[in-house]
Amino acid sequence: MSLTQTSTGRAIRLEGISKTWGDTRALHDVSIDIPAGSFTALLGPSGCGKSTLLRIVSGLEQASGGRVLIGGQDVSQMPADKRELSMVFQSYALFPHLSVAENITFGLRTRKVPRDERAKRLDRVADLLGLGDYLSRKPAELSGGQQQRVALGRAVIAERPVCLMDEPLSNLDAKLRQTMRTELRALQRELGFTMIYVTHDQVEAITMADQVVLMNGGKVEQAASPRALYERPATPFAARFIGTPPMNVIPATALGEAGAKLQAQAGRRLLAGLRPEALHPCADSALRLSVTGAEYLGADALVQGRLGVAQVVLRAPGHALPAPGETIPLALAPRDLHLFDAETGGRIPPSDPASLLVQAGIPAGPTGAAAPFIQHEDH
Amino acid sequence: MTRFDRWLANSGAILLGLLWILPLLYAIWTAVHPAEYEARFVLDAPLTLDNFAKAWAAAPFARYFLNTFTLVTAILIGQFVLCTLAAYAFARYRFAGRDVLFALVLLQLLVMPDILIVENYKMIRTLGLVDTITAIALPYIASGFGVFLLRQTFMTVPQELDDAARIEGAGTLAILWRVYVPLAKPTYLAYGLVSVSHHWNNFLWPLIVTNSVETRPVTVGLSVFSTTDSGIEWSVINAATLMTSGPLLIAFLLFQRQFVQSFMRAGIK
Repeated sequence: MSLTQTSTGRAIRLEGISKTWGDTRALHDVSIDIPAGSFTALLGPSGCGKSTLLRIVSGLEQASGGRVLIGGQDVSQMPADKRELSMVFQSYALFPHLSVAENITFGLRTRKVPRDERAKRLDRVADLLGLGDYLSRKPAELSGGQQQRVALGRAVIAERPVCLMDEPLSNLDAKLRQTMRTELRALQRELGFTMIYVTHDQVEAITMADQVVLMNGGKVEQAASPRALYERPATPFAARFIGTPPMNVIPATALGEAGAKLQAQAGRRLLAGLRPEALHPCADSALRLSVTGAEYLGADALVQGRLGVAQVVLRAPGHALPAPGETIPLALAPRDLHLFDAETGGRIPPSDPASLLVQAGIPAGPTGAAAPFIQHEDH
Repeated sequence: MTRFDRWLANSGAILLGLLWILPLLYAIWTAVHPAEYEARFVLDAPLTLDNFAKAWAAAPFARYFLNTFTLVTAILIGQFVLCTLAAYAFARYRFAGRDVLFALVLLQLLVMPDILIVENYKMIRTLGLVDTITAIALPYIASGFGVFLLRQTFMTVPQELDDAARIEGAGTLAILWRVYVPLAKPTYLAYGLVSVSHHWNNFLWPLIVTNSVETRPVTVGLSVFSTTDSGIEWSVINAATLMTSGPLLIAFLLFQRQFVQSFMRAGIK
């Protein structure tokens, strides 16, 4: 066993997991497939059940229903320490009375790994994480970033096939968080374990994960690659959650004639989703934005305005800001138009949006959001 | 605070301090001077250690010390073990009747132990343990105060540390021993000092349940000594008193820093 060789991760499969506490339902029939060696982020607002789900996978919490399979084996009834996984907690959960070295080797000592083997592995982990100079210190004498590394060290030293992380970066400052994101991802690739990573920060999820599981109210909203999540959100919630600023989700009628036609075609009320970066000012269009304000960000600016009655934000170049009260015509590439059923919230593929938009007098600008249906496959 | 206020507070404190230490000063004075100087306070009184030698020779103090030492050690160990286990259960486990049981434990804090002396004596007699050190220790080993104190401390240990240790393969007792107990060290120190000093000084119960030299702790030994043979020779009695409280006094002076600190820290947490 060597830390620098790729150890094999195990696939994880959640089947119909539910969790109730008295009358409150924290998780509702959650089923997820996590391929071996992949990095999966559980993303969602606070209270959506993502941490509970992680604790159920770890075995620290029992599910009220459903099964947890790790490496094809049903571990639902197995205690946490038999599931062969490691975990990094939001608070790092370092033992304050133990030195860094003792913290990292805690698990090896409880599992009675011989002293020489412990020392050898500790050396490797300390090298890997750059902790060599701090081994004899107590956690309280370390900076937040160093404490974070110690927690990582404790998680990776046992070389478990599965690693769970519960918002591990949320206590770090912005700059450190960015470097740690890269490091964590590199570490996971290098060691090859299967990672489940809980976060409420979409940037973390999008930048690090192979698969993002977006959760809301104890249910899975969408499980997809980061790109698919951004380019083809399955629900209005997913559309609003991913992207900064979030996608504009407005009643289709706010698009004027085009919207009415789309609704007539679909035979039901629709919501239209437009990314701020998908809307472009142009020479002339039936789609007109009356500007109410603008936020200058440097490279670009966020322009707030109204389409009909709906509030909309768009991203415009920073050098030519429209003044409040102006009306600007907007172009929209047909493939940047997302449509959702207003009642069920499901995504609806527009049948022929291109000709429809042109007929309605909305020119197709450059695609703001990268073309969803061309370069790569998604599901 | 005005200057006058501070002056008033300071002199009040000094006055109270003097009042408190006066008996101790008197005991030291009489113990190190010959008997004639019991009530004559002159600076040129001759110093002597004869009183200590006399007291030591007059009663089996060495045996009494051994008894007391055995007693407080046994009580301390028993209390640490029982209170730790009970406090862990109350702090971290959910079981039927937990809150009722804990209320009963708290109730024990309200009951003066002296009320139970007769009942305790009957029980000890039934067990056939009268006049043993076990009999002195037994009623105090399950301490409600200790359970309460340790439970409060254990509850301040973050649940995530418990979870982390569990993931790393530590069993229930291993978690208790390797996570909770080390983190509660200040509480153990404070509680240990209180327990030792209390049982070192305890008098009424040992007086009742013991009646031989082999089991008597120093407090009872001292009272037997001062009432029977030596009449009212204050210098010898005070020398014996200083001798019996000496170890505790020294221990307190040695530990006083940690003692006060740990109580303060226990409060802050």
